[in-house]
Amino acid sequence: MTSQQKRESVNLEDVTVVIGLEVHVQLQTESKLFCGCSTQYGNPPNTQTCVVCVGLPGSLPVINQQALNLAIKTGLALDCQIARHTKWDRKNYFYPDLPKGYQISQFDQPICGPGELTVSDPKGKFESTTVRIERAHLEEDAGKSIHGADSTGCSQIDLNRTGTPLLEIVTRPDLRSPAAAKAFLQELKLILTYIGVSDCNMQQGNLRCDGNINLHINFDDQTIATPIVEIKNMNSFRNAERALAYEAQRQLESWQLTGVTIEDAPKQTRGWSDTKQATTVQREKEESADYRYFPDPDLISVRVSESEISAIQSNLETLPESWRQELIGSHQLNAYDANVIVGQGREVVDYFLAVAAGCGNSKMACNWITQEVLRYLNEENLDIDSYPIPASGLIELLSKINTGKIDQTRAKEVLEEMISSGISVQAAMDALGIQPVDEGELEALCQQLVLDNPAVIAQIRDGNTKAIGALIGKSRKLNPNANPGIVREKLLQL
Amino acid sequence: MPNEFASYSAVELCRLIESGNASSLDVVSSFLGEIESSNDDVNAMISVSENCLETAKAIDNKRSRGQSIGPLCGIPIAVKDGICTKGLRTTAGSKMLETFVPPYNATSVDRLELAGGIVLGKSNLDEFAMGGSTERSYFKPTLNPWSKDHVPGGSSGGSAACVAGTMAPLAIGSDTGGSIRQPASFCGITGLKPTYGRVSRYGLIAFASSLDQIGPMAWTAEDCALLLSAVAGYDPRDSTSANVATENYLDRIEDPISGLKLGVCTEHFGDGLDSEVEKAIREAIDVFADLGADVKTVSLPHSASAVATYYIVAPCEASSNLARYDGVRYTTRAVADSLEQMYSKTRAECFGTEVQNRIMLGTYALSSGYYDAYYLKASKVRRLIKNDFDAAFEEVDLIVGPTTPTPAFELGSNLSDPISMYLADIFTVSANLAGIPAISIPCGFSKSGLPIGLQLQGRPFAESTLLSAGHQFQKQTDFHQQRPSS
Amino acid sequence: MVQPIDLETVKQVAKLAKLELDDARMDEASSQLGRILEYVNQLESVECPDGIEPFYGVVESKDAIREDAVAPSLPRNEVFKNSPDSDGEYYRVPKVLDRES
Ligand SMILES: [Mg+2]
Ligand SMILES: [Zn+2]
Repeated sequence: MTSQQKRESVNLEDVTVVIGLEVHVQLQTESKLFCGCSTQYGNPPNTQTCVVCVGLPGSLPVINQQALNLAIKTGLALDCQIARHTKWDRKNYFYPDLPKGYQISQFDQPICGPGELTVSDPKGKFESTTVRIERAHLEEDAGKSIHGADSTGCSQIDLNRTGTPLLEIVTRPDLRSPAAAKAFLQELKLILTYIGVSDCNMQQGNLRCDGNINLHINFDDQTIATPIVEIKNMNSFRNAERALAYEAQRQLESWQLTGVTIEDAPKQTRGWSDTKQATTVQREKEESADYRYFPDPDLISVRVSESEISAIQSNLETLPESWRQELIGSHQLNAYDANVIVGQGREVVDYFLAVAAGCGNSKMACNWITQEVLRYLNEENLDIDSYPIPASGLIELLSKINTGKIDQTRAKEVLEEMISSGISVQAAMDALGIQPVDEGELEALCQQLVLDNPAVIAQIRDGNTKAIGALIGKSRKLNPNANPGIVREKLLQL
Repeated sequence: MPNEFASYSAVELCRLIESGNASSLDVVSSFLGEIESSNDDVNAMISVSENCLETAKAIDNKRSRGQSIGPLCGIPIAVKDGICTKGLRTTAGSKMLETFVPPYNATSVDRLELAGGIVLGKSNLDEFAMGGSTERSYFKPTLNPWSKDHVPGGSSGGSAACVAGTMAPLAIGSDTGGSIRQPASFCGITGLKPTYGRVSRYGLIAFASSLDQIGPMAWTAEDCALLLSAVAGYDPRDSTSANVATENYLDRIEDPISGLKLGVCTEHFGDGLDSEVEKAIREAIDVFADLGADVKTVSLPHSASAVATYYIVAPCEASSNLARYDGVRYTTRAVADSLEQMYSKTRAECFGTEVQNRIMLGTYALSSGYYDAYYLKASKVRRLIKNDFDAAFEEVDLIVGPTTPTPAFELGSNLSDPISMYLADIFTVSANLAGIPAISIPCGFSKSGLPIGLQLQGRPFAESTLLSAGHQFQKQTDFHQQRPSS
Repeated sequence: MVQPIDLETVKQVAKLAKLELDDARMDEASSQLGRILEYVNQLESVECPDGIEPFYGVVESKDAIREDAVAPSLPRNEVFKNSPDSDGEYYRVPKVLDRES
């Protein structure tokens, strides 16, 4: 067997995918990291700049307290060690959307030191993994370069985004599958939104992610590593998973073909192309820039006091994982449902809690929310904030079910009517002609069913209680308001 | 017509204006007249303000209505052209900023205007303040008003020559390694580099951020006190500005010298010190002793390493500070088809050779593999230099010595060898590295008539001690009252 | 520490610093840099006690931080006033391809 054939016959169980992630998160501040310009998205180009963020000669940066607080808060949520001393460094490189010719970042004393985040999959697609966070540091964003829009063939530069605060979160290479990487990103995003440090809007670039990936292969009684590749521009979680999966496969095939390992090749930067559904080479590390990091002499190192940290800690919101445990523990939801509700964001959790408390039945609240509410939101592509029925409306509807005023099926029709006509529970019930059916009417209805369906009755008498379904269907036609539960009970009594 | 106010100090001009014996307009016009007659020759000013006469009239009107006109009373001030003035071209002495008109004022400019000062114009400097002779300006060298064959020093040579040439009674300079004190010394005037953080750097075009400091230049220490009081103070727009209470430096200007401990630094009197300079300094020390100062010997053991430390730290910071001059956002750009070429050609064509050399030096010293040996090592030695001062100031209140090893040198004489030029900073760079305040005051003349300067260095924020010591010295001497014969 | 700098290194540094110098200038820069490096290399012999903290020039301060408040930006015409090339909305530069981050 040639060595290539040998490599081609390697078992997939002997291949471990090793992934580390770098996530840039835009922190939700009003003003930029080092100047007072607004961070608002979507305004006309170059209308949110000043002498500082344009880098005019003589201008100086001053750090935004809130950006620092949000960074610390994120660090606490990720179990990071918070630096008591943090400083600012310049990362020097030339690019037209980087006005000063350097980015103010943090090199050797990041605001957040080592931490960790555990991700698991209720569907069990990957094993629960504790991912070590290496660090999280503050830095300023660059502007935007637009290529190909200018009629003279120039690139256009918009500096509105320049100087927006970013937190760069770097993990250790602890992820073992593209699915786990995706789950990590989802959980990270969830945490960031739960604690309100970022809206994580990926379309607006408020959460960007790069991945480092290679393979460890058991081969010939030793572990071989393929060259590390950094993948840029994975601009959605789905794309991140695809890009990493593509890259893992590509690296395997490339190694099988060439046998090139980490010792033979430098780190490479590749970009994910949405249109090609493939990663392509951006640059080899040899030609990478020498960033000449050094402490920024315009900024003073910051001392973070214990009291500042504990103040932020004590105001830290409940994290998603705690909510899952809460919903499972105090509300008896199963892990899957708890995960679905928590995964929809803190507002959905609040909605659930309100409905569960109001209707007195967590399981019922959960079913209605995961089935009806979330389906609607999904179809309409809305947030819970825009859901037309407030918790109080849903509580009122569920209470009608609990008191036997209406059955589940009709309640769903009522909900639809409430949404489409924008009316209250009662108005929707009236519109659908739903009225309480009194005892006498029900009695008469059941007698009628018994008389009209002797064959079915005989089956039931023989112990085939399932046959009763047919009668309930008929009762609906005779009187749509008849509660099928009560009808069923009465029929069984007869 | 000669400037009728040439012999007045700024404090005296203020009194004339306040008492109604002269108007701001008279004073500004006289100095403008001097600029008109002398500047072609000396080349101290790059730009002259177009509205200084209007401002003078407005101030005179205010006074005639009985309104306060501020402590600077409408007297004109030359501002180094590395300091941003809103609407008034600010070049930093570079082709790179030949047409740059800042949309904002430096904090120090805002403050001197608020105090009733009038920006008369923008004074010449070595390009981006990199140099010690003002020969490195894109806008031609400035000459020393005492001898046109000699340099005025630098980089604030234009500011010094404006005062010495009686083209302005007051000037603002900036000092990164001696750029206020060395030209003050060469031009026979007084110049103060304040404590790092005492004056806001906001609007000062950065050379080396951790060393740069703006300060006053004038004939007398008292005038420097007047101007420093106007511009000093905490500025929330400059993170490195010190939130230390400021004061009116004139309040304690009459503090006596007696009882002050004056340290004579042994390392300042070695080889390379010109004998005429040494003699003048020794005599000045005697004046202080006669005034009751307790003269002692101190040592700054690492001072021999100061110039080398400085020539790593400053170029490193400069290489990064000057990266923003890329042809994208201001003034000028070379013709090029690619971005890479646009950058490299613009920077090659619009920076002078000294600036390019320092950028390359800093780029090299920060680059991968060299950082520890250069920048980190220099920053550690910088700590040692600072520690030396901390220890010395346990023993003495002020350290006295020469500002420069020699009087002004001849034009062109130091242009080929960078080290000989850099060694003119040998006594001044330490104060920048340690962040302490230091003043240069005139203390004599060489036989050929060139001024000699004495340097006093003090504890952080001890500007008033430096100024009162200088003032008391000037009450005993008349070097600051000499004027060059034009 | 360092050997006097060779021309090849100076060329690399010039590239990193974005300075397109002609051969004569490159030679001149090379000799000047060599001269300066020779001088500053004296620092090699300065003994630094173990654990000495580098001094970067600024003292710590609690005031070097600002509240998160929006201040007015510059009017766009002010922004472009000093610019060598803009279209009124954007700065313009010769076409760029690869990007860094
Ligand atoms: Mg980064
Ligand atoms: Zn801004």
